[in-house]
Amino acid sequence: MTTEHADDVRSAVRERYGARAREVAAGSAGEGASGYASTLYAGEAEALPEGVVSYGCGNPVAIAGLQAGETVLDLGSGAGLDCFLAAKQVGPSGRVIGLDMTDEMLALAETNREKVGVANVEFRKGVIEQIPLDDASVDVIISNCVINLSPDKDAVFDEAARVLRPGGRFQVSDIVLRRPVSEAEQADMELWSACKSGALVIDDYTARLRAAGFEDVEVLVPDSTGAEDEPAWVSALVNARRPGGAGTGQPWVLPGGRHIELLAPIGLESGACRGDSTSACC
Amino acid sequence: MRPDLMEILACPVCKGELTLTVAREDAGEVIEGSLYCAACDETYPITEGIPNLLPPDLRRAMEAEGAPAAPAHGSHE
Repeated sequence: MTTEHADDVRSAVRERYGARAREVAAGSAGEGASGYASTLYAGEAEALPEGVVSYGCGNPVAIAGLQAGETVLDLGSGAGLDCFLAAKQVGPSGRVIGLDMTDEMLALAETNREKVGVANVEFRKGVIEQIPLDDASVDVIISNCVINLSPDKDAVFDEAARVLRPGGRFQVSDIVLRRPVSEAEQADMELWSACKSGALVIDDYTARLRAAGFEDVEVLVPDSTGAEDEPAWVSALVNARRPGGAGTGQPWVLPGGRHIELLAPIGLESGACRGDSTSACC
Repeated sequence: MRPDLMEILACPVCKGELTLTVAREDAGEVIEGSLYCAACDETYPITEGIPNLLPPDLRRAMEAEGAPAAPAHGSHE
């Protein structure tokens, strides 16, 4: 990808999410947020104040099996919802860092942080392709429907592997493709920032994570219906682990294979990410 | 930002150590200030409590396209 193209993608993404943050600040949750945040976070987000919205396609915190004291990094933290939920799980001895490049979202997240009153969440302005953290400083990376927006996914995966401790977990929700989409769709910036044309085909996602040095890579999507008109886009849960660190890595699948059960309701039946090419999914 | 987060912060370009300069603090949090990378000779601003750790070329590009890189210096609303 050319630098110019990467800049175009970033501009389109910032514009879209900046506008959404302004809508929230003005009292309206805006396109993409209403309706399904409550489904994704059933029972968890109810205690959070108004304005703590999610544009995600899943709830990575629910599957991350976060432990007390862990350091968590959220790639593309948006309004901060996942950070606040993660902060609760890691407790006061742990900490959560939210990374986002959109001023308006960062301002909204900071306002929400004050409302929620959590001390162990910090927001940073930056890009997920050049993470401003030390090597091997993070236990778990979470992200909710953001990596598909990146113009350089290999850089994201390389940086994720770098900042994770040996044995650290990469546990994200994302939009992936069951099959390739057309070049015309790829070129459409509006589609890109709606998490569609930037998504990777499942096997490609897996291969790139492995190339970045991850192991135990798994991209979980609901079974194909086999229908001819089945949408290419689908919400996925992605699990991967940085090798090493014997005994330090926590199980990345919850006991009893609960990740499968958690996968099913993630927005797929509720219309959060419809397969048609015009609706936004995050 | 809380100063104790400094220990894991790094320059987005060279991943080197950053030096914190505090201009304004409130209840133990740095509200305004900067983070300096000696290796890159680059200063990253902290504005309204949030460190701007965009790679400098991208930060300048965003400033050029009109994104409010330093909201403290003027509201667009």
